[in-house]
Formats: sequence, structure tokens, C-alpha cells
Amino acid sequence: MRCEDAHAMLIDGEGGEQSAALRAHVAMCAACQAYARDMEGLRAGFRALAAQAAPEPSWGFAARLVRRLDELEEKSRGADFLEQVGRRVVYAAGLLTLLLLLALVLPASSPLRGPTASELYWAQADTAVLTNYSILPDETLAGRELNSQAPGVNGAEGKR
Amino acid sequence: MEPNRAEQDPQEVAWIQSAQRGDREAFGQLVGRHQQRVFAQVFRLVRRREDVEDLAQEIFVKAFRAVRSYNFRSSFGTWLSRVAVNHCYDFLRRDRTQPVAYSVAPGDRDGGQANDLVESLQSRTEDPERQAVLRDLVGKLLERAPAEDRVILVLKEMEGMSVEEISEILELRPGTVKVRLFRARKRMLEDWRSLRQER
Repeated sequence: MRCEDAHAMLIDGEGGEQSAALRAHVAMCAACQAYARDMEGLRAGFRALAAQAAPEPSWGFAARLVRRLDELEEKSRGADFLEQVGRRVVYAAGLLTLLLLLALVLPASSPLRGPTASELYWAQADTAVLTNYSILPDETLAGRELNSQAPGVNGAEGKR
Repeated sequence: MEPNRAEQDPQEVAWIQSAQRGDREAFGQLVGRHQQRVFAQVFRLVRRREDVEDLAQEIFVKAFRAVRSYNFRSSFGTWLSRVAVNHCYDFLRRDRTQPVAYSVAPGDRDGGQANDLVESLQSRTEDPERQAVLRDLVGKLLERAPAEDRVILVLKEMEGMSVEEISEILELRPGTVKVRLFRARKRMLEDWRSLRQER
């Protein structure tokens, strides 16, 4: 048996159960005897640790735990309620923001939105300014003046 | 593992079923029955007396929240051990103040103690003082061990569990448990030997 195999068997060994081959090897090999002693030292250390008394639960531990569970349940209910309310507020705020963005982004004359009353008002005002003061040709203006003076004669021409 | 509801104490089964319906008083009865074992297990795993009660409370709170998932396939004690071991494992990983790797850097005193102790073991001395030193020394080695090694060594060497029980608690295959156990023991032994050779 090689020393490495003996070491593996010593590490694996449960409560001193060793094969005859291992015992024979350890009896003849000083290095493996030291290894076996160390392993036994470690196991004795574990046994000593296991024998150490653990702290006892303090008096009323279970009752305090039940009270703690009650408190946690109440907190959890409160948190659930707040979470539900908070979630609804967030949804409503999100919806409002979306509507506002749509109102700002959509063009004034798209199929989704007709011109508003204020837009119609300003459009009429623009037309009035153009008509009265500026860029329309003189002939057009002269014609309009004639039409306004004699509506019965030129009305048919105007319609045409 | 086969369902073993019939093998369990009927009173305990009734408490578990009530706790699964949210009855906290019934869960309190289960706490009373298992608290001592949980305290011992937590102490062996974390080795800090001042943390044991807080950790045990956290474990029982966690167990209450998860009790609906308990399906009577293993004993309630084993299921509770699983919750406790996982909680302590997370605690050890999170709270580790020592370096994760082995290779201790002990003082001469520790090396000398290790040598004396091995010699005393040869003479089978049951001196309480030597036992205390031995416990302190192996405790230090254990505290320096990675959390994974520490958990498996405590369950095997100190709780005296079988490989099958450990595999059930850690939810690993028995073959994996054996491999991890071998490696953990080997690393601890190397550390122990390096401690002795310091002298």
C-alpha cells in the first residue's frame, strides 16, 4: 500500500474502522503513524467541540417569537395596503402624463384631432390681416371692392 | 424519501397543519419543541454565543413563512434543520471577518499546544484543561474554514449525521457529500499539521 492511499483511508475512516492492510502499513510506516495521530487529534477536537454546551433559549423565547410573528403580520398588512394605494397613484400619474404628452405631440390638424376654437379664431384673424393690408394683388382688391358695391350684377361672376 | 406523516407524532402533525393555515400559536408549540436543537445547531455552526438567539429567531420566522411548503416527506426536524443550516451558511458567508482560505498563521503557542495535545492523545489523557485547549484549537481552525467546509464538517463530525442525512439537508447527492466531506477533512488536517510543524 502506498502512503497516499493510506492517508486517504485514514481521512475517510469512521471511528477507527481500519482494514487489516491499512493497519499493517501504518504499523510499519512512521510518516503514516504521525498522519494517523494527527487525524485522531482532529477528531478528538471535534468531539470536544460537540460536547461543549450550547446556549439555552432564554425564558419565553417561543412566546416572544409568536408576538414577533403577530407584529410582522400587521406590518405586512400595512405594507400591502400602502403598496396597493401607491401602485394606483403611480398608474394614475402615468396615465395623466401619457395624455399630456399626446396632447402636446400630436399635430393640430391630424386625423386624430380637429382644429380647436382658439385655432379657428386665430386663423380668421390672420386672413383678415392679409385681406386688409398686405400681399394680395391690387386687382383682386379692386375686384372685391366692385363686388361689394354691386352685388346683384357681379354676384354670379363671383360665384363662378 | 417516502412520506412519513404517519410516523410523526400526531400532535406535531396537527400543529404543523394548523401552522400551515396561518395559526401562529400552533407554530409557537412547534418552536417550543424544537428550539433547543436549533439553538445547538446554530451555536455549532456560527460559534458565537451572542448571535445564537437572534439567528434562531430569524430561522423560526423564515420557517413560519415557508411552512406551507413543508410536505411531510421528511421529518419536521430535518426540514427545520435545512432552514437553519441554509440560514447559518448565508450568515457565515455574509459576516465573514476572517480570510476565506485556510493556511493559518498561528503563534508558537498554538503550535506547541497542538504538539502537546497530540502527545496527550497518545497517552489517552482525559484532562479537562487539555480538552478545553483542544476544543479552542479546533474551534479556531473551524472558524477559519470556508463556510462550505464548516457546514459539512459540523453536520458530520459534531452533529454525528450520516451522509444520507447530510445529503437530505444540503439537498446534494450522497456522492457529492462524500467528496466534499473528504476535501474538507483533508484541508482541516493539513491546517492542523501545519500548526504542529510550526514548532
